[in-house]
Amino acid sequence: MILQRDKVKKNPFQIIQNVDELVEMKKKSILITLDLWEAQKKLITKHKFNLGLEIASDQSLGPIKNDLHYFKLIQFKFITFKDGRPFSLAKKLRRSYNFKNEIRGSGHILPDQYIFLLRCGFDSVEIEEKNLETWLKFLEMDKGIYYQP
Amino acid sequence: MYKYTEQDKKIVKNRTKEFKFQVERRINGDLTEEEFKPLRLMNGLYLQLHAYMLRVAIPYGELSDIQLNKLAEIADKYDKGYGHFTTRQNIQFNWPKLLDVPDILSELAEVEMHAIQTSGNCIRNVSCDHLAGINSEEVEDPRPWCEIIRKWSTFHPEFSFLPRKFKIAVTGSEKDRAAIKVHDIGLKIVKKLGTIGFEVFVGGGQGRSPYVAKKINDFLEKKDLLNYLEAILSVYNELGRRDNIYKARIKILVNELGQEKIKELVDEKFEELSDKSLELNQNEINNIFNFFKLPIEKKTNSKVPIHSDKEYNHWLQQNVINHKIRGHSIVVISLKPPGKPPGDATSSQMRELSKISKDFSYGEIRVTHEQNLILPHILNSNLYELWSRLKKLGLSTPNFGLITDTICCPGLDYCALATARSIPISQKISNHFKEYSVQEKIGDLKIKISGCINACGHHHVGNIGILGLDKNGEESYQITLGGSATEKASIGQIVGPSFSTENLIPAIERILKTYEENKKKNEDFLSAFNRLGIDKFKEDLYK
Repeated sequence: MILQRDKVKKNPFQIIQNVDELVEMKKKSILITLDLWEAQKKLITKHKFNLGLEIASDQSLGPIKNDLHYFKLIQFKFITFKDGRPFSLAKKLRRSYNFKNEIRGSGHILPDQYIFLLRCGFDSVEIEEKNLETWLKFLEMDKGIYYQP
Repeated sequence: MYKYTEQDKKIVKNRTKEFKFQVERRINGDLTEEEFKPLRLMNGLYLQLHAYMLRVAIPYGELSDIQLNKLAEIADKYDKGYGHFTTRQNIQFNWPKLLDVPDILSELAEVEMHAIQTSGNCIRNVSCDHLAGINSEEVEDPRPWCEIIRKWSTFHPEFSFLPRKFKIAVTGSEKDRAAIKVHDIGLKIVKKLGTIGFEVFVGGGQGRSPYVAKKINDFLEKKDLLNYLEAILSVYNELGRRDNIYKARIKILVNELGQEKIKELVDEKFEELSDKSLELNQNEINNIFNFFKLPIEKKTNSKVPIHSDKEYNHWLQQNVINHKIRGHSIVVISLKPPGKPPGDATSSQMRELSKISKDFSYGEIRVTHEQNLILPHILNSNLYELWSRLKKLGLSTPNFGLITDTICCPGLDYCALATARSIPISQKISNHFKEYSVQEKIGDLKIKISGCINACGHHHVGNIGILGLDKNGEESYQITLGGSATEKASIGQIVGPSFSTENLIPAIERILKTYEENKKKNEDFLSAFNRLGIDKFKEDLYK
């Protein structure tokens, strides 16, 4: 389930593991991994997809620095919630690369991190339905009073 | 002293609520222990060998009488009647129950205290020179800068899940009493061509790979402080190693990349990410400085009372320092009386000290990183009465800066990571050398004791460092010599094979004999060691 601030929304993006799937399925909104993008960029860009890119928390933005205009969504997949790299990467996407489309968190993330995610430039998170209430509770507990700009 | 604003109050109160919710989720199983651990650590809650331990923040070591009284109350109500002051100017309670912790945090919030970021892989309590604002050789008071950093680093959205813990220390003097060169970031306030700014050091630290920090900026303008800190942290968050906990501190990154490369990356990041809204304007800076005005209004001719009592005179000589305002003194309260665990204070001592600080020191108390306390503003004529009251509490030990003024970690008596006990070693030393005349003759000497390689007892930077090891089930102690945490920071060198508990004191005696036999007039231990070299000590020790 995708949560964008306090709203649950549909997820049009379907994850694609290899290029065959991509051609066969003709999905309009697809989510591809960074590895697949690096290997098959030419082929992928031939088709008119709504492209989403999944970057794992241990990968860098280096390889896609000049490709950002292709992506409607960048999804950071946390290997573990303790790996805080995507907080810096999301901020970099917004501040240095001026990326305006959706940034999403997925993988092992905790509701306790929701406000930090939003403040670093994330728009949405992929969560388990059973935890929805807890995620919303953190949003509700947040009073918008912070020490940082 | 700093007083909470409405913003501070709301943030701390909200955190208490949030933590209560986290404890509930842990208890009902919504959070696994693995998930709960970093969350509780960020609230200062450790699980130690026998029980939970709560580490309460004392930002840059400054406490009010009301806060100290509250700490005494907490020690009685939720713990076993004592607290332990740490090397990062905090206090630890060793026996709280998990379910009591949210209540403890609520009580702390009542007196503007908390346990936020006293642990975990985030930016920790900022530490500071314990003589900040009251010594005459200072360029500028570092405390307001610590407060500015405290605010910026608290619940920083980007830097709360770093590769590893991150410690910042600030000094405003040439003489470094805050050990800035063994911190992840050390800031030294300097004046160049009439303008005040910062020298920035990065990548110092102890643990199993000790390093002295490298200077990466000769002069950082005040207004850029937070943007520059963000640049360092951002480089570290992206590039710091996460594959091996022992290689995750920024010191390893700095050492792997080299001083030049890290400087280049930080400068690049600083250029790229600098945010106008993080720039400090003079008004904001002044607002914070206003909190730290000295409570003493003017200099006086107040004289130190003369008494024939030998103990009083030893104490005057050893534990009393000149205040920058004439007629006043700074008093160091040693938490290292003979035979007691260094840094411990009982609730009754804390309660009485709270009163004493109100009566004599404008209700201000400080904690030093060497685990002592300070009464910062004492009128000279009050010194005898103050000494008499401290003596009744067992808090007048005249050993500040001497051999029995050891730094010591909790060791195997409390800590789950320890390989040996460290408190009993410190107790042995303080009993063995307890005579003031013996200590005075040895002179300035820093012994620092750690119960494992993580070096919480700072053994790497002890003039004599002692590291407790486990050798086939037996406690064994390795000695390092020549370490220092001052402006001339250095990492101690291992002198040779380790010693059993029984042989440790004789080994220290032998080291002191080498010093005694070879020192020049007025040469302290560290200077003599640096001149003589380790081989001389090794030869004498193992012959």
